[in-house]
Amino acid sequence: MRRVRRRRRAATGTVIVAAAVALLGGCGIQGTDVIAAGGPASFQAFLDREYDMLLFFRSPDGGLSPVIRSTAVSAAFGEGYVEAGAVETDGPVPTEKVVTTLLAGPRKEDRVAGLSTSLPLVRGGKVEVEPSPGGGVTARLPFALAGLDSTALRQLTCTIAYSQDADGQVVVTLTGQDGASRSGTCGLAPGDTGNVPAATGTGARSPWPGTPG
Amino acid sequence: MPRVLLIEDDPSVREGVELGLRRRGHDVRAAATGETGLAALAEFRPDLLLLDLMLPGMNGVQVCRQVREHSQLPIIMLTARSDDFDVVIGLEAGADDYIVKPARPEVIEARIRAVLRRIEDSGPGRPAIEVYGELTIDRGGLTVTKAGRPVALAPSELRLLLHLSAAPEQVFSRQQLLEHVWDHSYHADARLVDACVARLRGKIEDEVGSPRYVQTLRGFGYRFGPL
Amino acid sequence: MTIGLRIGPARRRKDAGQEAGQGAAATDNRSRIRAFGLRTRLLLAFLLVAGVSAGTTSALTYREARTALLETAQDTAVTSFRDHAQQTAFSLPLQRGAALEDVLRDIARKGKPHPWVVFAEYGSVRASSGENPVSTVITPELRRAARANPHGSFERVVKDGVPYLTIAMPMVFKTSPYSVLPSGLVLYAVMRLTDEQVNVDALLVAARNGALPGLAVALVPGLIAARSVLRPVRKLHEAARSMGSGRLDTRIPVRGSDELADLARTFNESAGQLERSVRELREAEERARRFASDVSHELRTPLAGMLAVTEVLDEDADGLDADTARAVRLVSAETGKLAVLVEDLMEISRFDARAAELNADEVDVAETIRKTLQNRRWTDDRVRTDLPDGIRARLDPRRFDVVIANLVGNALRHGGTPVTVRLRTEERTPGTAVLITEVMDSGPGIRPESLPHIFDRFYKADAARTRSAGSGLGLAITLENVRLHGGTIRAGNRPEGGAVFTVGIPLHAEETGG
Repeated sequence: MRRVRRRRRAATGTVIVAAAVALLGGCGIQGTDVIAAGGPASFQAFLDREYDMLLFFRSPDGGLSPVIRSTAVSAAFGEGYVEAGAVETDGPVPTEKVVTTLLAGPRKEDRVAGLSTSLPLVRGGKVEVEPSPGGGVTARLPFALAGLDSTALRQLTCTIAYSQDADGQVVVTLTGQDGASRSGTCGLAPGDTGNVPAATGTGARSPWPGTPG
Repeated sequence: MPRVLLIEDDPSVREGVELGLRRRGHDVRAAATGETGLAALAEFRPDLLLLDLMLPGMNGVQVCRQVREHSQLPIIMLTARSDDFDVVIGLEAGADDYIVKPARPEVIEARIRAVLRRIEDSGPGRPAIEVYGELTIDRGGLTVTKAGRPVALAPSELRLLLHLSAAPEQVFSRQQLLEHVWDHSYHADARLVDACVARLRGKIEDEVGSPRYVQTLRGFGYRFGPL
Repeated sequence: MTIGLRIGPARRRKDAGQEAGQGAAATDNRSRIRAFGLRTRLLLAFLLVAGVSAGTTSALTYREARTALLETAQDTAVTSFRDHAQQTAFSLPLQRGAALEDVLRDIARKGKPHPWVVFAEYGSVRASSGENPVSTVITPELRRAARANPHGSFERVVKDGVPYLTIAMPMVFKTSPYSVLPSGLVLYAVMRLTDEQVNVDALLVAARNGALPGLAVALVPGLIAARSVLRPVRKLHEAARSMGSGRLDTRIPVRGSDELADLARTFNESAGQLERSVRELREAEERARRFASDVSHELRTPLAGMLAVTEVLDEDADGLDADTARAVRLVSAETGKLAVLVEDLMEISRFDARAAELNADEVDVAETIRKTLQNRRWTDDRVRTDLPDGIRARLDPRRFDVVIANLVGNALRHGGTPVTVRLRTEERTPGTAVLITEVMDSGPGIRPESLPHIFDRFYKADAARTRSAGSGLGLAITLENVRLHGGTIRAGNRPEGGAVFTVGIPLHAEETGG
């Protein structure tokens, strides 16, 4: 009887002490987990679709980084950019030219920023872009698709998609010289579930792929 | 034979005691109340008064006081209870002894004889008259004077004083005094002694609070002197 | 075998060592300060309740305040960081260099609520508004989250005891009015939460400072409550003790209507009933005692008359015819016995009424006993004595005479001669000498089954004898007389045969019984 009571008393004491510790403990400021807070920040990138090309290169972490490349005189960034006003008008830059520029690889300033490309270096050769029969666009490329990795395919897909459409929501079909064909969407925009590139099926389901860890 | 006046209200006790004492040769006169008893006193002239304490009308203690006012007649109280407070009051009022009822006539007679006993001579070679301070004791004439004036002492008081003064400064226990002065047993009621000492002091001492003649020795008893 | 006798409350405690020991132990328990007494428990309970409530309140308030404080700081920081980041322009690819750092410093300056250190990560470009281009505070988890999801996110990090708020802000840009594209640039802001820390610490101190006086204040109602509970309990305690010591008219004032008041009421009712019962019992006892006393007293008067004439009967019986003479002698003899019986009854009822007085005198005990034997004419060789001289004691000689006479008479009647009376003193416990008087006979002794009842009134040890030679009250009166002296009496049998009665009377006892 007494032992039971003593045990009960001990239990009560433990509870009280635990409660006190829980209440009084955690004084000061503790660390937290990562907590999501609102959307991203949107900044001014001065993208002018009339003159500028949007190229996608490979960033060091394996993701894609968009790069704005002006068709205007473009030696130096900075002042030249401002004065690149009225040269070569007539609508958006043709997709063929954009792809050709992409295939020419990153420039010096891109490489300084750590950007690179997964595409083979192709000089010459013709790139043909025409609308696909079932909607979207088809690009015939002057090299074989077979040896390309998924980053290369996504570089091509996104560059073509954003060249064709400001929102990049275009199904792009790539056809190589070897006759291989891949089709998909870019899926880089937030909220967009991309299925790129469908044929290779790397399974990058993230809308913002390229950070596999 | 002694003449005994019996004052007792209960007829059977009165008759029984009267009969018993008369058979033993006493001249007994019986009275039923204190008033008739006091009236008979002058005419009958008894040697001794046997007095019931519980009387209708005038009670035994009152009778006792009234008798003591002008007489040193020996008085023995009859009482129903020895532990009664009345015993003390009766003794203080001047009674010499008491008997608890019921009592056999031989017991009553023994007490009567003890009270009436002649005070024996102190023996030869001793002056009949002794002087202690202001006190003069005449053993022959059985009188006591203080500063020349006679002191009226009841029989028990006189006998106590004579006994104590016969051996000045000797301590007597109350039990011894009961045996020698009252002819009681060693184990009798010591209140007899205390009451008698108190009465005696009241008559011979200058200050009862600090007695000169009859002194108390706590735990032992009484003694005469030293002066 | 020993018969323990009741000697009055004070004496009883002294004699019965075991009982006295228990009594002392109980008193010790009562007076010992109780570590977990009612008062302590009540106070502790109050303190606990106050402590828990004050602590809980303080802790909860503190937590809420801290959370609110931090959330405000965090939300402000995240929002303002996003706002400032949105107001900047970057070219893509991002160019490392002084221009970038200027932009970052510009954002950092506008930091709210405190200046931030802003870090930019893009490709392999690492730049910051501070000295180090890469923060040591930003965790990989935050980086991963910023890369994986296009939302702003923050993480609170404590590094080396300093709390930091780290915010990750993935940067996107518009490709069309309705569409944004992650740029691969992530801006991080790192902000020390120093002020927040101070505020939170102040909160903590405030909470603690609020709770502690709260506890101290809680002591006051605790003490008052303990008092209000303990006072009735103490009253009850005193009342119960007072009842126990015989004051049956003890009552408790009933105040209020709580459980303690109920208890007091019940106590009073019970005390009332107890008092009534005891009073009734006492009255019944008193009536019985008075009846016995009255009866004996009423018997005395006729007996006084009868006893006065027995002598006449005895003397004249010789002159009567044989039958009348026998009858007359019988009446005479029985009258005498009746007188003794009535006398003993009177004496017993005096003891019962506590009217018996002790007229103690300092006497020589040996002489007293010798006088008793002399008066009864027990001086022949039937009674032997061993009475050392010089023992003085305070006794009531008349009562002690009754004790000795009854014991010797009893021994002579029921035991065998010779009867021995022995006197001695004995040191029982240090400082208390006891006068021991033993009366031994040479008879068969007392049967063991009779021993416990030997002092009972009218008890007949020998069932065959319908009437004892004495009144049947002798030993009972003896016992009462010994008790009146504050002494004890025991009856027993000697190993060598014969009964022995042992009377023990304290030698230098204060005057007992008045």
